Amino acid sequence: MKGNSTFMRDRVLPLFVWIFGLLAVWEAVSWWLLHVSKTPLAQSKLPYVHEVAATLWKYSSTLLKEGGATFGNAGVGFLIGAAAGVLLAVLMSLSKTVEQLAFPYAVASQMIPILGLAPIIYGIVRDEQVSRIIISGYITFFPVALNMLRGLRSVDLPAVELMHSLAAKPWAVYWKLRFPAALPGLFSGLKIAAPLAVTGAILVELMGAQHGIGVIMLRNLYYGPSHTYMFWSTVLVGALLGIASYWLMSLVERLAAPWQPEFRPKGGSR
Amino acid sequence: MERNTTVRDTSFIASTGKEIKSASITSTNNGISTVYSGRRNPRRPFRWLNPGVILPLLAGILFLFLWEFQVFHKLLDLKKYQLPLPSAIAEAMRDNFSLLLSYTGYTLAEAAAGMLIGSACGFLIALAATAWPRWGGGSLTLVAALNAVPIVALAPIMNLWFGDGIGSRAAIVTATTMAAMAINAYKGMSAVDPLALDLMHSYAAGKPAVFRYLRIRNSLPYVFTAFKINTTASMIGAIVGEFFFSSRGLGYLLSNSVKVAKMPLGWSCIVLAAIAGVIFYLIVERLEKVFIKWHSSQRA
Repeated sequence: MKGNSTFMRDRVLPLFVWIFGLLAVWEAVSWWLLHVSKTPLAQSKLPYVHEVAATLWKYSSTLLKEGGATFGNAGVGFLIGAAAGVLLAVLMSLSKTVEQLAFPYAVASQMIPILGLAPIIYGIVRDEQVSRIIISGYITFFPVALNMLRGLRSVDLPAVELMHSLAAKPWAVYWKLRFPAALPGLFSGLKIAAPLAVTGAILVELMGAQHGIGVIMLRNLYYGPSHTYMFWSTVLVGALLGIASYWLMSLVERLAAPWQPEFRPKGGSR
Repeated sequence: MERNTTVRDTSFIASTGKEIKSASITSTNNGISTVYSGRRNPRRPFRWLNPGVILPLLAGILFLFLWEFQVFHKLLDLKKYQLPLPSAIAEAMRDNFSLLLSYTGYTLAEAAAGMLIGSACGFLIALAATAWPRWGGGSLTLVAALNAVPIVALAPIMNLWFGDGIGSRAAIVTATTMAAMAINAYKGMSAVDPLALDLMHSYAAGKPAVFRYLRIRNSLPYVFTAFKINTTASMIGAIVGEFFFSSRGLGYLLSNSVKVAKMPLGWSCIVLAAIAGVIFYLIVERLEKVFIKWHSSQRA
């Protein structure tokens, strides 16, 4: 119980102070822009927080629906991409040839601005649903494959030798040793990819789609100052979707791989 | 021998770089050293003729051939105006060479400026978080939250704030590169050897001295990892920023040429962006070799 209360005091309290301090500064700067410096488009640049919150509440059903559409499509693409990435990683760890074929391209593709491909893929497919899924999947694929491979490779060599000496079949080595060892790597890949998948989905929506949070964002941006609160609410929803996806992955990681040092009550290795 | 290096490298990285963000590019770097490790080996006479170089090269050429002779078009039922042929892309690149070159320079300038500012901010945040753990730690959480905000949500706001200039894209890139640097540098500064810390205490070293001689030095490898991650992130940030509201740059040309159905030009933008990104990355890697020669990851 004592540990819990120090956690509250040392971790949660400063964070809350930070957040409230930030909101207060935001509100003050917004007021200053509007009333003191009289900046043109003051509310578009930095609107009052409470107004945005009110809009968020007022249109919550619409935002929830559109946000859900984005999140769902990003999720489907994310799952497909993650599955393909895991598969490639297993193939690369099984066969040196596959690794030599695929690894340089996996590395090179990390340096291509992948999100830049969004308009091109939209131009090829011309279907919002499919292109959202393709982009999300494509973004997810490489971080997952690279990190999973790193994880599969990072097993203890003595442990592998022990399993060999016990005459374990290759699938037993994979199932009992390599997959558990790869889980942390897999999840660090998934945590990189999850917010990016949401970003990709929103980006495709901005290119021209019917549903999704990106569509309302663009629409309200073009309507100008009168829709500024709604625009900021959509931005906020987009941000929340990104954070939620990351948070969801952390939660799944905690459930699936709870033995990692960072989950121990007292930071293991330190 | 190659096998050995791979295993040792990966396990080394797995033990130190468990950080979320440091993962992808660390393995990237690692991969490069794996692939080319044959080239550095002076004992082999035909060093280019090892399967690690030949195989991917052949696969790439085969891929381009299949593309050029429209096998993909038949398989996926695509038209030539949807997915232009490599020859058409090369032609578009030749025709618009000077324009593309100046736009590439512009985008690269945005990316570099934003990355420098963002990385500096991230490093300062990490310094603050290490120096005052209780209150500075919160800023780290906030930066990580900022990182999860999609670029597409940041971009229109930055355009409102900074207008259509190099400033707005640099600001977008700044926001996207800050977190990786802050988190990595913080890890480097906090994961110092406890014995070294004890030694510093026994010399009655103050906080500034500990930072100067121990923590900052220890954070350098992590800082360069963050730089490498940020090269990619900053190119993406600059290009996506240009999609929205811009009159110059690769992203602007890309989204525009797709809108008017000039797909070869769009593809040549992507090719140039990739080349620029690789050059940017290689420059950072070169700098890393110069600055942290002493670190074990840099020794052959």
